[in-house]
Amino acid sequence: MPVTRRSFLAGSGALALPFLLASCGFVQTAPAEKRQGTLTFTTWGTDAELAGFRAAIAAFEAANEGSTVELNAVPYEQMFTNIDAQLQAGNPPDIFRVPYYTFGAYAGRGQLLDLKPLLSADRQAQFTPQAWAAVQNGDGTFGLPHHTDTSAILVNLDLFRQAGIDASEIPTSPENAWTWDQLDALGERLRAGLPADRWPWAYNWQGNGVTRWLSLLFQSDGAFLESDQKTPAIDSDAAREAVAFSSSFFTKNYVPANNTIASSSYAAESWFSQSVAMVWSGAFQIPDADTTADFEWTATYAPRNVRAGSDFGGNALVATANTQQPELAAAFLEFVTDAAPMRDFCRAASLLPTRGDLLNDQLEFDVRPELAPVFAGQASLVQPQDVAQVASPSMSAILPVLKEQLDLAFTGAQDAATTVTNLQSGIGAATGG
Amino acid sequence: MADTAVARPGLSRPGRPERGERMRTRRPGARREALAAYGFLAPNYLLLLVFVLVPLVGAFFVSLQRTDGFGDGTFAGLDNYARLVGDPLFWRALGNTVLFTLLVTPLSMLLGLVAATLLNTALPVRPLWRSLLILPMAVSGVATALIGVLVFDQNSGILNRILTAVGLSPVTWQSDPVPAFATIVLATVWWRTGFNMLIYLAGLQGIGPDLYEAATLDGANRWQRFRNVTIPLLGPTSFFLVVLNVIFSFQVFDIVFVLTGGGPGGATSVLVTYAYETGFVTRDQGYAAAIGMVLFLFALVFAAAQYRASRTKDVVE
Repeated sequence: MPVTRRSFLAGSGALALPFLLASCGFVQTAPAEKRQGTLTFTTWGTDAELAGFRAAIAAFEAANEGSTVELNAVPYEQMFTNIDAQLQAGNPPDIFRVPYYTFGAYAGRGQLLDLKPLLSADRQAQFTPQAWAAVQNGDGTFGLPHHTDTSAILVNLDLFRQAGIDASEIPTSPENAWTWDQLDALGERLRAGLPADRWPWAYNWQGNGVTRWLSLLFQSDGAFLESDQKTPAIDSDAAREAVAFSSSFFTKNYVPANNTIASSSYAAESWFSQSVAMVWSGAFQIPDADTTADFEWTATYAPRNVRAGSDFGGNALVATANTQQPELAAAFLEFVTDAAPMRDFCRAASLLPTRGDLLNDQLEFDVRPELAPVFAGQASLVQPQDVAQVASPSMSAILPVLKEQLDLAFTGAQDAATTVTNLQSGIGAATGG
Repeated sequence: MADTAVARPGLSRPGRPERGERMRTRRPGARREALAAYGFLAPNYLLLLVFVLVPLVGAFFVSLQRTDGFGDGTFAGLDNYARLVGDPLFWRALGNTVLFTLLVTPLSMLLGLVAATLLNTALPVRPLWRSLLILPMAVSGVATALIGVLVFDQNSGILNRILTAVGLSPVTWQSDPVPAFATIVLATVWWRTGFNMLIYLAGLQGIGPDLYEAATLDGANRWQRFRNVTIPLLGPTSFFLVVLNVIFSFQVFDIVFVLTGGGPGGATSVLVTYAYETGFVTRDQGYAAAIGMVLFLFALVFAAAQYRASRTKDVVE
């Protein structure tokens, strides 16, 4: 009998898993007869996020007698190597949490449950079009958007004052967000007004955060994939402009030289240590900033160029294709994305809701509530067509191409034109398009 | 002493057991002893089989497949290996790995030898010095790399603060290829010197003082004794360490992954970080397995060299 990868992995997994995973909480300890009505749910999360999930689970169990949800919280670093191994070995959880940029890798390869036939009729209308676009693949709906986050700019007001820039110059609405030219001029003033070991800003594109560079591409009205999510579309003037603009952060000394894609130092660390005056950041940093930053700070909108553009960060909740309880899984996903659980979760964790009825002026955070409208306003600038590209099944293969080529551009090893040419061919090879 | 164990090739015929040897295998209880020995060895062999050999054979099969992360792959023959030939990222990672090995192995062995030689002499609080040097061995690679991040951060790291304080220019440890490569070499050398020192110390303590006495009587000075007595008699130890350090260097992952992430611009990308990226980010496990098999081939070559050396060089001593 030929040994296939699947049979090999299943065999070795059967031998090794009891030893390896017993201490990790992956072994299903419930007797078989009690599995009826029990869902397993694997996620990572901050304390606030996990508390939110536990509260939602308790409410779901109370509302659905006989149903239980076993929450398995794991560190983010091992989340997806574990999920991949479990999917391959045929024992994945019923439900797991997945970033939108990873969603396509699972949905496009038949690993997720198509929820379309199981969802209530009005469900789509409850979400923003951007959020709904992020969980579509082909003709199916393979998850529900649980929350989002997007990058606005956190501003150190002390360093602004030190550079002679008044807080009144900071945009207070999406419409008057800095244009690229204005941002460049601001960078010049900050550079001139700050000491040599302080920089105007840092950008949060480290690691898989490279997707946040795409915001600059979108702001130039560029794209990296056609609507088929496969054909590369980055060979454009818009992309060359975005690469040249972001590379100029380094040549003009607007960012610390180690603010590269592969850097082991995250952008936020530079901001917390007051090495930079501004940092592109999601709202999730607000609680940390509130407790850690010993300087005055605020938040403003990300810049715009031809148009506004922003990244659709955050996570969806998905059910696995071979779950034994698809109806119960769909019911749980609907429950946690209902208005009350989503509002409570987002408020405590400083994240943005994906429901249209929550993402408005009434949005509140427990910490620095006055900043919630900035992030809500920023999220409203995300375009569905931008989100759909990031939901491509090939995104996991595109990420290394973006990291490699942009890092070369930022370290001065290649110019914008060469970078875009390489991105076009690299993305084509990654998607097979 | 070792010379009593030296084989005398002229007095025995290889391949044909002597009468006495045949007799020994038949003595009463020998069979039970052998069974007991196999019993003690069995758990190790079982673990080796399950956790090393089965995955190894599995990885070879996977390396012959085209995969997308989930489900069964499709047989692709040697396609993945052919891709390696034309993949510039693979060659860059291989080149970086070789350069890393060529720098780290001699540096950490030299420092290990110097430290072992010093700590083999009468020094005040010698156990403390030995413990301090061995301490990095007890620290995981990830922790070492995280310490490295604190030291080498070019904006707020300790090293640049010290350099600035003494009037020197700060170094661009994270944004320029050469300094970034230096950080992974320095962190690894710090991590590995203690291990090399420990093995060298064991080797040094196996050299009898009579040899040094004889050399001193012959008029050899300190350097000549080191050069003509210590170095040759540490031959087997050095060879063992060369092989081990080369294999460790080819397998370097955690320090690079955490300290530089392979950057800037791929300047510190090594074979295992490239295999990890390919297997777990791109989810092209077939190609990642092919990279792993290349790595295995290198390890195999050096392991074979170690096996040969340990049999021949023991006889010399």
